Amino acid sequence: MKYLRQFSGQTAQVVQRVSGVLLLVYLFLHVRTIHELSRGPEAFDAALLTFRNPLFKTLELGLFATVILHALNGIRITLIDLGIGQERQRRLFWVYSVGIGAVIFLAGAIPLVLAAMQRS
Amino acid sequence: MRNVLSWYFQRITGALLLILLAAHFWVEHFMSAELRRGDLSYQAIHSRIANPTWQFIDIAFLLVALWHGLNGVRNIILDYSRIGRRATQAISGVLVVAGVVWAWWGIEAFRNL
Amino acid sequence: MPVQLAEQPYRIRITRSAGEGIAKVPQEYTVPLEDRMTVLDALFRIQREQDASLTFRCACRVGMCGTCAISVNGIPRLACRTRIRTLDAGPIQLAPLPNLPVIQDLAVSLDPFFEQWKRIRPAFRPKDPESQELARVPATSAYARHTPEKRDCITCGICYGACGVKSTSGEYLGPAAINKAYLRLMDPRDIAIEERMAPLNEERGGVWRCHTQFNCTAACPKGITLTDSITRLKRAMLSPRKFEKL
Repeated sequence: MKYLRQFSGQTAQVVQRVSGVLLLVYLFLHVRTIHELSRGPEAFDAALLTFRNPLFKTLELGLFATVILHALNGIRITLIDLGIGQERQRRLFWVYSVGIGAVIFLAGAIPLVLAAMQRS
Repeated sequence: MRNVLSWYFQRITGALLLILLAAHFWVEHFMSAELRRGDLSYQAIHSRIANPTWQFIDIAFLLVALWHGLNGVRNIILDYSRIGRRATQAISGVLVVAGVVWAWWGIEAFRNL
Repeated sequence: MPVQLAEQPYRIRITRSAGEGIAKVPQEYTVPLEDRMTVLDALFRIQREQDASLTFRCACRVGMCGTCAISVNGIPRLACRTRIRTLDAGPIQLAPLPNLPVIQDLAVSLDPFFEQWKRIRPAFRPKDPESQELARVPATSAYARHTPEKRDCITCGICYGACGVKSTSGEYLGPAAINKAYLRLMDPRDIAIEERMAPLNEERGGVWRCHTQFNCTAACPKGITLTDSITRLKRAMLSPRKFEKL
């Protein structure tokens, strides 16, 4: 772990694994939620209402960030595996995976937050 | 050959997931005015999911995501050689079973509508 | 901040131990800094003037042999090629090379490194061992154009110590062994393919354990693009026949 500061390729690997496991956890919860559909419209709509509260909205934002990070870094890793950009791998992580990821996150998160605030 | 195919497949499923996720996200949150407003409701979702084409895409999404994710977990385990060959094989078996059960559970959600 | 030139005393903290499994204890020394002083120079100073029991390895002291590989401020480096002036001010942390068993203080055993090295059959295997002819490699061949910088390996073990996967996987071959295997496979005169492919393709210890951390490439004192060798081999596993020599 001591190389995290110096060699960001290892940071990228840790980020990829942690985000991946978090997404698996989300997938589990998501499948469970879809099962709620079978309990009929009232039960389902009631379940959906709980997802409107601020805690869930914050978790949703966290999910969004996790997906973007994992996806962009995954693209970076695939490029590296194909032999593209190895000399720039550090920049690829911080500028593209994290930097552009942050831009995409804000592009999606700001409207989401505004819409949620408008509704409540 | 199994190892190299598995390595390539992790990248291929990753790329597939990007496409499937984009499609899924668009369908769930942007396809109709109602969804764009954030008015998710039983009606909106149920009417779409009853359609076998959407079911196929959603189930494909689930299966690809499960393979990609559980294979990823398996690679994390393989990096820790100190837990030994037997334990690694046992955990791999658990991951396979978990994957099958999880996939079945996901598909069940559609059959119960 | 780099240290100022002039005869300033410099603090060096060395992780010492009497052997593998025995408690590691940091011990601090103060060494007057002189111009162009390397970490190896400082170690000699300490050993001669302050503490004759300090144990470390060296041989050529000019960055050719790879013997003096140690961890400097958490990064595996050659002691003889690390100028103290280029390090941050504050106590310099010296420790033995990671992922290898400690013999004493800064001296580690490279046995595990060479065990992995031997697994990929590093010796040259010509088509005809009895041949008296010169085996030429054309300058235009892929091997001659593409591999020169990868042939500079001095088996110092720095990549092995830097690798994050090596810290959890005793079975992983490590970058140096894989790079050597890559060179042999690429060599048009070398015919041993199958027996090298077997260890390289292993699920638990082969090329598949590399996750492109790039620690090895960043740390290699010879600037060998190790991750590049490993990723090329990964792709080549899809069609191992490409290594077959006519």
